[in-house]
Parts: sequence; C-alpha cells; structure tokens
Amino acid sequence: MVSVDLLHIVMLIELGLLAVAVVLFFAHGVWLSLTQKRLLRLTGAGRDSLARLVTRGTVNVEEMSALRALPRYVQVIAFLEISRNLSGTGKERLRFVAQEIGLIDRARALCADRKWQRRLRGARILSQLDVADPLVQTLLADEHPAVRAQAAEWASSQPSVPVISAMLSLLADPATQARFAVQNALLRMGRVVAEPLADFLQNQSGRAAEAGLRVAESVAEPSFGPAAVRLSQSDDVAIRVGAARLLGAIGDARAAERLMAMIHDDEARVRAAAAQSLGRMQHWQAGSLLGDALRDRTWRVRREAGLALRAIGAAGALFLRRALKGDDRFAADMAQQVLDLPDAAAG
Amino acid sequence: MNEMISSLVSQLLVKGQYAVLLYFLAVNGWYLVLLVSSLLELRRHMLLITDESRHLLLSSTLSPTISILAPAYNEEATIETSLRALLALQYPNLEVIVISDGSKDRTVQVLSEKFDLVPVKTIYEQRIKTRPVRALYRSSTYPSLVVVDKENGGKADALNVGLSFARGDLVCAMDADTLIEADGLQRMVRPFLYATDVVATGGTIRVVNGSEVKFGRVVKTAVPTDLLAGLQVVEYLRAFLFGRLGWNRLGGNIIISGAFGLFQRDAVLDAGGYLHDTVGEDMELVLRLKRLSYENGGAGKIAFVPDPVAWTEVPESARSLGRQRDRWHRGLADVLWRHRAMLLNPRYGITGLFVYPYYAFVELLAPVIEAVGIGSLALGLIFGVVDWKFAGLFYLTAYGLGTALTAFTLILEDLSFHRYDSFRDRVLLFWWALIENLGYRQLTVYWRLRGLWKFIRGRKDWGVMERKGFRPVTAAG
Repeated sequence: MVSVDLLHIVMLIELGLLAVAVVLFFAHGVWLSLTQKRLLRLTGAGRDSLARLVTRGTVNVEEMSALRALPRYVQVIAFLEISRNLSGTGKERLRFVAQEIGLIDRARALCADRKWQRRLRGARILSQLDVADPLVQTLLADEHPAVRAQAAEWASSQPSVPVISAMLSLLADPATQARFAVQNALLRMGRVVAEPLADFLQNQSGRAAEAGLRVAESVAEPSFGPAAVRLSQSDDVAIRVGAARLLGAIGDARAAERLMAMIHDDEARVRAAAAQSLGRMQHWQAGSLLGDALRDRTWRVRREAGLALRAIGAAGALFLRRALKGDDRFAADMAQQVLDLPDAAAG
Repeated sequence: MNEMISSLVSQLLVKGQYAVLLYFLAVNGWYLVLLVSSLLELRRHMLLITDESRHLLLSSTLSPTISILAPAYNEEATIETSLRALLALQYPNLEVIVISDGSKDRTVQVLSEKFDLVPVKTIYEQRIKTRPVRALYRSSTYPSLVVVDKENGGKADALNVGLSFARGDLVCAMDADTLIEADGLQRMVRPFLYATDVVATGGTIRVVNGSEVKFGRVVKTAVPTDLLAGLQVVEYLRAFLFGRLGWNRLGGNIIISGAFGLFQRDAVLDAGGYLHDTVGEDMELVLRLKRLSYENGGAGKIAFVPDPVAWTEVPESARSLGRQRDRWHRGLADVLWRHRAMLLNPRYGITGLFVYPYYAFVELLAPVIEAVGIGSLALGLIFGVVDWKFAGLFYLTAYGLGTALTAFTLILEDLSFHRYDSFRDRVLLFWWALIENLGYRQLTVYWRLRGLWKFIRGRKDWGVMERKGFRPVTAAG
C-alpha cells in the first residue's frame, strides 16, 4: 500500500499551498480595495486637472506639478481616457501637457525597450495621443506582430509619404493581426493613399495584392483601374474576386468590359463577384450575359446574376421574365424568386 | 467464505492500487500542467489587452460581419429585453436573427409589436435540410433584425435555419437566455482578425445567479448564496480559466459553450451544420470542424478568449442540475463515440493523439473510475483490508489537491478580471471552493454515471430546465 508517511507529506504540501492561496487571495483583495480607492481618487484629480488645462489653454504651474506628482500608471489612465474624446486643438494641448510632465519621454523610452510588451505599451500611449514621433514608425518593422499592429494604428493619423510607403509594404505581413491593422489604418488615412496604393498594386501579387485590393475597393478611385485589370487576370482566385469587386467599385467603361469577360471565369466565386459588380454598376449592356449566368451551375452565381438583373432595371426585368419561360428550371426558379422580392430587398 | 472474499478483495485492491495511483498521479499532474499553461496564457493575454484601443480598431468597416443566431422557444416574457440587449451590442457590422422554433406562445406576436416587423421575402440557399420556415420578417425600425418563424425542430434545427439566412462572415450561436457583455463581440472576434486558420472562438461564460441584471445586462456581479449556484460559480471558473485556457495555449481546445460561440459561417455550412440527433450538438460541431480541417490539410484552430463575455443562469435545483449534467455527459459520450476514428490517430495531430484520449480517459471515464475507487474503498473497509486511517488520509489528500487547484483558479480570476471584488464575494467564493468536494462532487459523479448509463441505453432526450429568472436591480440600483 502507498505509505501513510508519503500521504502525510503530500497533505502537508497541499496544506501549505492552500494556505498560500488563501493569503494571496485575501491579501490581493485588500490590496485591490486599497489601491482602487486610491486610483479612483488620483485618476479623478488627474482628469479634472487635465480637463481644466486643456479647456483653458493656459498652463497653471500648480496643476502641472500636481499632474507630474501622479504615479505614472495614473497619468497614463487619465491621459488616455481624455485623449479618446479630443481632437484638434484640444489634443494638441493634451500632448503639450504630456510632454511637459514627461509622459511622452517615458512612452518613447518604452518604445525602445527590449521587451515587446513595453514597446507595445509605449506605442499605445503615443498612438492614442497622436504623437508624430519617428520612433513609432520604426516599430512598423518590429519583430512582434502586436507591436507592428499598434504602430500601424498610430500611422493612421500620420499620413506622410514615408509612413504610407512603410505601411504598404506591411500589406504582405505574414501576421494577420498586423495586416488587418495596416488595412484599417490605410482606410482611415482616406484618399491620400490612393495614388501610392495604385502604384503599389501595379507590381504586387499574392497576399499583399489581396490585402491592398480590399483597401482599394473602399477608396474606389479610378486610378486603381489599370492595377485592377491586371490583377483580374491573376492565377489566385481570391485576388480575382478582389479585383472584380474593385472594378465594380470603380465602375467605368473599362471596368465593365473586364467584368463582362470575368463572368466566364472558371471559378464560381469570381463569376459571382463579377455579376454582383455589374449589378452594382447597373450596367444594362451586360443584361444578356447576366441572363446567361442565370443558368450557371452554381447557386451563388445564379443569385448574384438575378439580383444584378433586377438592379439594372427594365432591361434586366425583361431577361428575368424571359428566364421564367425558359427550359432551365433552375434559372426559372431563381428568376421567380428575384421577381418576387420586395423593392427594399433588391440589390 | 468471508476469509476467501476478504483475500480476493485484498488481492484485487493490492493489484489495482498501482493502476489507481498511476491514474491519480497522471490526471493531477496534467492538471498542474494545465494550471501553469493557463497562467502563462492569461499573462500573455493581459499584456496584449492592457490599454488596447479596441474601439478604434474594431469599429472598422473591414471588421467581419457577425450574424447572431438566437433560437427562441416560448420566450414571450423575456424576448423583448433579451433582443434589445442584443441590438445594443457594441459591434459595427451586426445582424441579429431570431429563430422562433415553433413557439406556442406569443413570441412572434410580441416581436412583431415591439419591433415593427414586416413580412419579407428573401433568396436563400438551403444547404442544410431543416423543418419548414413559416414566415420571415424584417424590422422596419431595426434594419439589422431578422425574425424567422419556423416549425418546431429543436435548437440544432433552429440554428441550421439561422445559418441559411445569415449574411455574416461569422455566426454567433447562443442560447436565448445568455446575457452578452456589451463589448463581448469585440473581444470574441479578436482571434479571427489575428489568425487566418481560426474556425471558431469561445469565451468565458460566468454564472449570473445572484448578480443584478438590468435591461439584459449584468450591472452588478455577486457570488450567489444559494448552495448549488454558488458551487457552480467555482466550477465554471475552473472549467474556463483553468481548463479551456490551459488547453488554448497547447492548441487542444475542442469545446465551445453552446451558450455563446462564434464560428466561421462557411466552415459550419461546409461541415453540414448542427446535428439533430445528439444532445451534445455544440461539442459535436466543434470536434467535426476540427476533424474536417485536419482532413482538408489544415489545423482549424479553435480559439478561447478568457475575457468574461457572457453570463448564463445555472440551475438551482438538484433535479434540474442533475438532468443538465446527465445530458452533458451523454453528449460527451456521444460525440466521442461518433468521432472515435480520431482516437490515437496521428492524422488528427495533437487532437487525435492527446486531446481526444484526454477527454475519453479523463473526462468521460472519470466518474467510472471515481465510482470504482469509492466502491473499492468501501469494500476494503468492510473486509478490513484497508484501514480507516489510510482511507481518511487518502481522501483528504485527494480533497486537498482538488481544493488547492480551485483556489489557484480563483487567484487567476482575481489577478486578471477580478469581477468578484467585494470581501463578501471573496469569502463566499472560498467557502464554495472548500465545500465543493464534500458531497457536491460525488453527486456530479452520480449524475455523470447516470448520463453514461443512459447513453449506453440510447437515450437522447434533453429534459426540462427550470429557471428562476434574473435578479432585477433594486429601486436604488
């Protein structure tokens, strides 16, 4: 049998662990209760001082000293809370105060730290305060994806040529997290990214092209046309789908011509995207092609073709009614479903 | 005769002791590994989310569209509040689909009156066979709200109908009575944005009993004073913060709570949706998604988000709880049986070689082994081959280990999210942790054994869940 002595030893160890757990659990509770009360008091005071400094616009030495005297973590909480609700002059004043009390220098030091979590924290502070610091730009090449993503978020408020260029190169980032942040930041930058993105897409393939097409579709500038046409002939299905959507968003004659060719693509996803884009453009000249697509072997293509015909208007309705009488029962069924739709559901 | 039996029992116990000891050591050793793993994972998670500006990043138009699938059956009393809470969730691209699963009360009429529903037609592809849809409605005041009225077919069938109508890239499956935190979806969607191979995510579900609820949101958390609800609070904390989080770091998650989970819509449709003929449809779907992704050449990650994202009401009567646990265990047995080809099969990577055997030998068979252990001990004591002192010490050792593990889980919660921060809550939590192994655990062994027995006999009924309802806020609150 297992020795009783061994059981005694194990029990003693367990008892010790349990005692440690009890002490930790309750001591942490006491510590939390004390620090949270203090934190609330200090953050409240910091927030009030900051609000006064920001709204008044003049520096009050006493208030600055009070802010400076706050613990770092309280400063961070107070500044970040207020920064979310500020822009323009208010944010500039906030940055000035942050600089004066040493918070920005501290964040910069964190950005240069060896540990990724500190670099992340530094980048978060500088991002939320919109500090135009080249140090954060260097973090776009950081080894940790969370830090790169945070630097990308910072970049959304710094739309300079070098920043945009660095951001575009990150569209090929292997980490989804960083890629998503870059796409999001480029979108927030607005139309200023159109020209560099159009140039970028001209020479790209693979992951970078796919991510770039998504941004381009939202920006929807005619300058993306040549790149969209080129990428619509890619071997990669996801890229062809992205290109079809972008062509639909651009909506010029060249885009329509290319989309009409894409409706014969080997891949159903591409055909569906092309049909959807033609509907989005309300390109009535594609009516006949879309009528043919109603007989597609894939349900999704038939649905998009039907909805596109409906979006085209009278000409499209003609093709839908013709399909009702046709010999293809799948096309007839889809045409019936589309014609039965109420107005609000179209498109 | 007595001597012969006594000698036989003695021999059995002596031979079995090493097997039992080995099992005890292996299981508890593994629990310690999980505890360390969850500690590391929680630390990494907290570092990533501290000061995170989630609002800015996740209010993007690039965020995936989420369709919430909310099955409802005879929910006329609560549906309005639950639905308003869902519509107020903080997420940019959101669609809410309520599926009335043949409700016999006024669920659909209440929805129609309160949300200005109008009948609509839509084009949808029925990739999964379901019970017929009677009518489809859209709200004229909330454009993102769709209501499907269908014939009764059970939760799985309702979710399958919802899948057909959903337009989102992601679908969120939930129970009608789950309370989701306002920013719960923002937290849950994170893994999908951070990795391409994620097929599903689950989050920490907390017990709402004892807490104050206002307009479908938990406004004040409190540990319940009710015995069974209180014991389940520590049980849930241990299951999520220690079990699932620990497995998450090791890439071995195969469970997402049916109360709240987020899935890639296409992956679920490709897999054939939810199965009707199982009581463990949540786990079955997750394991099937995992299995199919291995078979299609990927690993299909199931991610777990430790943030407390949703709250659920747990049963407070032994009868209801027993039925629930019995059903859960039947579900586990059924799912493992259906996917038995994965057991120790290297084709399924860590899931086949490690996770599946864990669930089979530790989770599924634990009640059997515990029952055998208790039975042998009783026999040993009756025939005098085990002395009382030893039996007592062994029980205390097992009890101490279980309690220590639970206590460290409470510390994990306290160091991370500390939702139970009053002194009263701490005392109560610790009290429930201390008494959990004194009767309650043995009761769950009985319920799970019953579930296993019913599974062997082929029972697939759900049983009835009695709910008390949420505790409303007081006038002052």
